[in-house]
Amino acid sequence: MIKISYATAIFVFCVGLYTILSKRNLFKTVIGLTIMEAGALMLIVTAGYVHGGVPPLIPIEGQAVNPLPHAFTLTAIVIGASDVALALALVIKVHRRYGTVDLDKIRGLKE
Amino acid sequence: MRLRDRLHDLVLLCLCLGMGWWLWEGVAAIDDPEYIIGPAAYYLVNTAKETGAVNVVAAILFDYRGIDTLGEATVIYTTVCGVAMLFSKSKYKKSSAGLSFIARRGISFVVPFLFMYGSAIILMGHLSPGGGFQGGAVFATITILFCIVFGSSFEASRISPKTKETIESLGGLLFVFIGGVGLLAGAGFLANTAAGFPRGQVGNFLSAGTIPLLNVAVGMKVGAGLSTIFYSMVKVLDLEFNEQLTEVMDNDKN
Repeated sequence: MIKISYATAIFVFCVGLYTILSKRNLFKTVIGLTIMEAGALMLIVTAGYVHGGVPPLIPIEGQAVNPLPHAFTLTAIVIGASDVALALALVIKVHRRYGTVDLDKIRGLKE
Repeated sequence: MRLRDRLHDLVLLCLCLGMGWWLWEGVAAIDDPEYIIGPAAYYLVNTAKETGAVNVVAAILFDYRGIDTLGEATVIYTTVCGVAMLFSKSKYKKSSAGLSFIARRGISFVVPFLFMYGSAIILMGHLSPGGGFQGGAVFATITILFCIVFGSSFEASRISPKTKETIESLGGLLFVFIGGVGLLAGAGFLANTAAGFPRGQVGNFLSAGTIPLLNVAVGMKVGAGLSTIFYSMVKVLDLEFNEQLTEVMDNDKN
């Protein structure tokens, strides 16, 4: 079962990567960034799973899952939200300066 | 041109599929582990004895790795500064009118419960899943709902941006102050029970030394920070929308 979780994380990561590489719209690039981040977080959480594990709350009955990836994921979620906010702010600035969020038009390469 | 674009997309798709296959090769060898090794095993065994917290994740975040959390709170502060600086020039004029009467009444009915929910998540952070980050996000959601339903000028008049900045700075200062108490006690920065904070009975509301206090500090910081980010962005968008609206109306007149 754990393989399905890993496969999902990798699939989500690759969808985000394709979005970043193929889209010319800056807003879509930021959306791809968040999708990639979601994939990475899923991978971290999955890495902490133990077979038949229970949540890491103190009267632990049986084997608890690894609590360390959960703490790292909380950290990563907040930092991800921060960098998406900053990226969106920059995109809004670009739109105010150039009147478009299309990368080709900004570079002036479009015939 | 269209053929070239399609070829470009195809190459990128193959690249992403190859990347996915490569990652899968790395992951496919991993089996379900039966037990935990490394620092996590130590945390699981010793959390109740050393910190008095029920929630092991909160104990790791605010006790064992407290200085990491301080750094992370600094990231939010930096982001708020960056976003506020990028939008500093734009003067705030009008806000959107907000939603209908029914939505307004409904939200005013829901908000007290949301407030209670957020407070519970923050204050029970050492007893159950939750903590400062999650509860702070709930508080930020309340202000975002105000912005959307009542319009952003109403939100700004009720909770002014300066108040939010004060709350955020107070959260950061509280965090550093609690860390400094540990330093004064001679036990190191952000020390918990080693610095003389009472551990309490495991499972009680008043237990776990500094962890509930640090939860409150981080909740203040995250809630005020996220709502400041949203407000800084939405006031600019409101402004642009209003400018476009006046342009359209002028064109109609002409």
